[in-house]
Amino acid sequence: MIEPDFSSEFFEFLKGKKENGVKVVAFIAHDNIPEEMLDASGFFPLRMMFAGNDELMDASHDYLPPSTCAFTQSCIGLFSTKYPQYRFLELIDYFIVSNHCVSDICGSEIISKYFNVLRMNFYLPYTKNKNSLKYFKLELMDFKNQLEKIKNEKIKDDNLIESIRKYNNLKKKLLELNELRILGSKKVRIMQKALLYGPSFYNELSQFIENNKDNQEINTSKKNVILTGCSVFINDNLIDIIEEGGGNIVFFDTWIGSHYYSQVFEEKFLNSIQNPYEILIERFKRNILSDHSVPNFLENKISQIIELNNNFKKKTNGKSLGVINHIIKFCDHFSMLSTYFKENLQKYGIQVLNLERDYSRANKGQLSTRIEAFLEMMA
Amino acid sequence: MSLYADEIIRFSSVLKMSYNLIAGREELKRMKTREKKHLISVALPFSDLVYGFPNLVPVFPIRMHVFKISKYLSLMGSSASLFGWDNISKFLGYVKNMGIKEINKIIDQIIDDVIQTLNEKYNEMFDIGVERGISSDFCFALKTLVGMYVTKSKNVSANINYSIRCSAWNKYLESLKAINSNVKQIWLDIPPRNIGNALELLTDNLSDVINQLENLSGNSYNQSTMREHFRISNQIREDYKAILYEIGTSDFYPCNPATFSEILALLSVSFQDYNSNAKRYAENIHQMVNEMKERIRKGIGMDVSKMPIIMITPMFGGWEPQTHEIIYELGGRAIYADWDVLRALDDIPISNNSDPIKAYAKFLFNITENGVGCDNNVLTSSYIRVAEKLNADGIIFNQLFGCHSISNCYSMLKEKTRKNLDIPAIALTFNRIGENIEQVKTRLGAFMEMLN
Repeated sequence: MIEPDFSSEFFEFLKGKKENGVKVVAFIAHDNIPEEMLDASGFFPLRMMFAGNDELMDASHDYLPPSTCAFTQSCIGLFSTKYPQYRFLELIDYFIVSNHCVSDICGSEIISKYFNVLRMNFYLPYTKNKNSLKYFKLELMDFKNQLEKIKNEKIKDDNLIESIRKYNNLKKKLLELNELRILGSKKVRIMQKALLYGPSFYNELSQFIENNKDNQEINTSKKNVILTGCSVFINDNLIDIIEEGGGNIVFFDTWIGSHYYSQVFEEKFLNSIQNPYEILIERFKRNILSDHSVPNFLENKISQIIELNNNFKKKTNGKSLGVINHIIKFCDHFSMLSTYFKENLQKYGIQVLNLERDYSRANKGQLSTRIEAFLEMMA
Repeated sequence: MSLYADEIIRFSSVLKMSYNLIAGREELKRMKTREKKHLISVALPFSDLVYGFPNLVPVFPIRMHVFKISKYLSLMGSSASLFGWDNISKFLGYVKNMGIKEINKIIDQIIDDVIQTLNEKYNEMFDIGVERGISSDFCFALKTLVGMYVTKSKNVSANINYSIRCSAWNKYLESLKAINSNVKQIWLDIPPRNIGNALELLTDNLSDVINQLENLSGNSYNQSTMREHFRISNQIREDYKAILYEIGTSDFYPCNPATFSEILALLSVSFQDYNSNAKRYAENIHQMVNEMKERIRKGIGMDVSKMPIIMITPMFGGWEPQTHEIIYELGGRAIYADWDVLRALDDIPISNNSDPIKAYAKFLFNITENGVGCDNNVLTSSYIRVAEKLNADGIIFNQLFGCHSISNCYSMLKEKTRKNLDIPAIALTFNRIGENIEQVKTRLGAFMEMLN
């Protein structure tokens, strides 16, 4: 469960938005939703990025079978249980049904249908070619129409460009955060907050980076690892377990992490494009590391990790990174490819732990044991 | 005695289709090695485009396997090539009527073997899939498909990959090149919704698939060939629907209801590649309709007017094959109509002048938008639509373990069933063939009590 202070702070934040006429649009937190369009048309984009627990997962079983992705189960559970700590969810006006994965479709549809949240649609093509980009544009235009219909006013290009810049600046700052040599747990908590609050968190983020520039920790006894696969959501203790086991996450290769901040645009590019929707299309095109895409996601992901490892080796006199592939139970995307992912990286001498788990408390001991064993094995 | 065997020998069309399903390996081998044709791996009802090229052969990969076929069935196949299936069927029927015990036993065994060997093979593929590394959390269909691909992809030149809303399916398709990098992967991205000019984009994507098939085939794409195939496949669909809705909903069946369910199960599997020869398959299924109608006309078969119709769905991704037999024993008749739920039995809207590719794009969009659906609301409405068409008295929802796409919507379906049809529904869980039969029996017993 999230901390009461965090909860009430965020509740007040959202309430403030609502009092100013801003409507809240929630979505399963994937990396292809054009949040800038929401921002530009006066909506607040709220990512569903809260970790689950046994009660939340159980509460979803009235709607979907238990063999559903544990994260989706928990998202539904949050609406079903109505925990006071999550009362800010009551402020949601719309929920986007999207097809990042089929659990995204089903979970979002259920939240919208059974918990009286109005529905929006935003679907994605699976491949990345000229026609899928054209299709993505159709979806953007359809989304634009949905937003404009609700607001009864057109989204101005200038407003959209301004929003793109705001989010771009936030991402640039997150890139700076990524460079800090601080514990992964500290880093991820700030990232999570930045993604939750959006650009209004920019100053706090800058301050954090400023404060920590001179406090960078170099703990040589920790085993450095990349976290890839599924995101670590707010209030998940996975990173703490990794750190307790002697590891440290140096790179978050997940939605909450590089998938988000690596989507940054250069100023030159932003200045060269007149039509802001072209920028969003370009971003979709560049997002080849998104787990949604086929058929080259696996290849791209492996190349990226090899490159990250090579760079790390150069900096550390040949030390290799380990890879923890975090698979939330019943996640189609990461689970299906996990065997091949591991096999391929092992060929390059990179050790991989395919760590599958759900949010049940009973798992904690097993998770610790597996992580500790993996970290011990790392050279 | 097998219910299936007792009846099916009288249908030469069914015998033929069964034989082609499990004894296709030699034929496929001949096509590949002697006739130099390319085998193209397909799954789900997406084989049509391949038929646009005479030297490309669509195959549902399990058919490349060696099945334990009884020597009698082999013999029957050989004899059929000399005397024709009709004569074999008549002869077997005659022998059966003579009541010669030993021969009867052999005939029963032959047909029993077909079903058993197919189920055994599916389970074997399941195990191979898991051994190769697919997580046991995925559905039966994907595990068996991985097993099929691991064992038989060496024989195929290409695999046709259609993106659909099931993310596990899409990622399974992506994983195929990691299993065998020598097989060409031909992708068709079906846009999730038909908005704006999405139909044009899909048509363009289909043209790209055609180009890739042309390269593989070495022959140019020909509209007439494609159009001709679509006509054949539409005829197959018409006959399939006639079996489902004309025969399936009638008060008199041409065989006992368990046999009828077996035939529907056979059609469900074989529809995926039309047994690699659409023309033959079309003739077969047409003959099947005629044979059924003829038997009904002659009063050969069974009065089923008092037996409630139970729609079992979805089963194409794996189900317990004993279900329909149990239902029959409990006084009901089971119907499998998945391909119509998914709108794969709707016509490809082809005419003499229309562009076949555009027609196929419309067909695929209809599946995406109105069958599989962009969400469970559409999908569950499609389940209801088919249950209504079948005049179903009850729905058994097959909750396939690990399926996150089409068999996870039972709650929504139940609600709609109550509201729109007012018939009972239950869910059965399925993981692997033969794993849970006692529980299935108990649940079905309780369910059928509500209906009788």
